[in-house]
Amino acid sequence: MTDYKRVSGDAVEYGVFARKTRGEPLHQVGSVVAPDADLAMAYARATYDEERWCEMAIVRKDDVITLWQPGEA
Amino acid sequence: MSLSDLVLSLADNKQMLGLRYAEWATRAPSLEADIAAAAMGLDDLGHSRVLYGCLEPLGADPRGPERESDAASLRNLAYFDEPWTEWSQFVAANAVLDTAFTAMIEACVGGSVEVLQHRLRKMLMEERYHFLHGRSWLRSGIESAPLERAWREAIEWFGPPDGETAALHREGKLSMGPSELRAHLEQQLEMQAPRVNVDWRSWDPVRRRGKPGAIDAHTFGMLRGLEEKKYAPPPAAKQAAS
Repeated sequence: MTDYKRVSGDAVEYGVFARKTRGEPLHQVGSVVAPDADLAMAYARATYDEERWCEMAIVRKDDVITLWQPGEA
Repeated sequence: MSLSDLVLSLADNKQMLGLRYAEWATRAPSLEADIAAAAMGLDDLGHSRVLYGCLEPLGADPRGPERESDAASLRNLAYFDEPWTEWSQFVAANAVLDTAFTAMIEACVGGSVEVLQHRLRKMLMEERYHFLHGRSWLRSGIESAPLERAWREAIEWFGPPDGETAALHREGKLSMGPSELRAHLEQQLEMQAPRVNVDWRSWDPVRRRGKPGAIDAHTFGMLRGLEEKKYAPPPAAKQAAS
């Protein structure tokens, strides 16, 4: 059987961002879990492509620097 | 053999690839992979519809009535004859065969036939994500048997070095011939094809495969709408309902 470690052990979370028009800002539409950026792109497109986005981007959740969180402001 | 024959082979293979992907929509190793299998299945079934639609403008539609009764008249590769039982089979098809079909679509888009240049271009955008999915899973390591089989069938499908794919390339209808297609596939997947000795004398130029055989009866029934009919209400029940 295939080793599925990359699904649970090696995978990291990516935030998925999109917008429908150039005039609106990117906003988070969801997230995917994948072991690398290539697979995360494929998963993001497969999962969130139901609407007509003009732009979609993914960001590793680990790369997001949080200034404050709910309850801290 | 003509360009229409090649496009029909591409359409039949895309249809079968889409169906086999869809069978894994609830069996892949993660929820994301399930969704990707379903989405890629829908893409490839859609691509097959577009390709079938190109046959008429190409001039000669090679589809005959035998396609309704003889599963062996469909032009799919042997790799799609039976449902896949292992994820490795899915990954090998996704990485090697799907990318091989995309290479041929690129050759059509880069060739001189206008209807193919225009209608197939959008497929390349969608196929980018199939490629990323396949290559990523391939890099994680899969069993060698399905990978070698997928490579062999891809090379067979490109055709012999002096066959009709090469002739279509020389005429400018395709921007790549068999050797360029193979090199392109190797470059895309960042790996050398395994050593494959194809006996072109026993190769079927219509179905573009070396092995005889056909898709399983259940899948063939589904393609013809017979499986759907099993669930249709009987005529009497239909009348009572109206």
